[in-house]
Amino acid sequence: MHIMEGFLPWQWCLVWWIIALPCLIYGFYQLKKVLAADREALPLLGVTGGFIFILSSLKLPSVTGSCSHPTGTGLSAISFGPWITSVICAIVLLFQSLFLAHGGLSVLGANIVSMGIVGPLAGYTVYRLLRDTSVNMYLTVFLATALADMFTYVTTSLELALAYPAETGGIISSFVLFMGIFAITQIPLAIVEGVVLALVFKYIITLKPDILIRLRIFSEEKINAARSDL
Amino acid sequence: MQFRYTLEVLTIIAIVVFCALFLYTSSTMGDAEFAGSDTVGSGLVAELSGTSEDEILPLIPQWAPPSGEIESCLFALQAAVGGILVGGVFGYWMGQKKKA
Repeated sequence: MHIMEGFLPWQWCLVWWIIALPCLIYGFYQLKKVLAADREALPLLGVTGGFIFILSSLKLPSVTGSCSHPTGTGLSAISFGPWITSVICAIVLLFQSLFLAHGGLSVLGANIVSMGIVGPLAGYTVYRLLRDTSVNMYLTVFLATALADMFTYVTTSLELALAYPAETGGIISSFVLFMGIFAITQIPLAIVEGVVLALVFKYIITLKPDILIRLRIFSEEKINAARSDL
Repeated sequence: MQFRYTLEVLTIIAIVVFCALFLYTSSTMGDAEFAGSDTVGSGLVAELSGTSEDEILPLIPQWAPPSGEIESCLFALQAAVGGILVGGVFGYWMGQKKKA
């Protein structure tokens, strides 16, 4: 999902930085508040952040004949919301742009918006919509993580389409072209990521259900129901 | 007794199907290079903007890993950091649970 350094005109770099910065600052503020309120949130932050580190380093082959990487942002979005997730993503993306030439400092804002903000926001919205319904908890986690992954790539496509409208058809037709590259490649990856992270969530529930209840991520009834489900 | 590993089975099936899809595409699509979608996307940018990819220069100069080996080393490092975090915390939780 990285937009490469130099591949966005500076005006667009600026736009995405202006959108990303307030979210990051709010994320920092929230992070401090959450950790001050409950030190036991720190290990959970470690696990959810750890999965972003792992999954975003795995480039997997897909049906389109090109490779792409999952984002792993779903768990963190569910547990801590999109703003704190954007801070973790910013760290990963900064590492990748400084040492791996994946993305770059000028396009970092755009990459944070797609991977750290819009994707997790989509996942978080799905989770909030389904949390208090009777939908199975693992299905909620699956949908939230898979959609967080998909929307990251949809956003990248949109960012590029806005900067490079096609000569005929404009933004829409170049959006379709970029979606063909980014989003189609991502579909199988998003499904596998969703299933894997739902399994990880099962282990979090087995080991440490009380932290999920204390942080009000899922209700006790729902967790008990899920434990007897699968 | 209830079967308790439904999710594990589903995960294994998903991964196996994913691998099978990869083997299928790589054997049937002769021109599949399995380049990164970032690279393919950059190619499209060059096409749409009408400049060749080599002419697109970084806005901010950046260091690039000099070879694929060094790049994969740094990627492995990133995954290792994540792995340590995940493993460490799960271990910490297991210890807490045992004590309780």
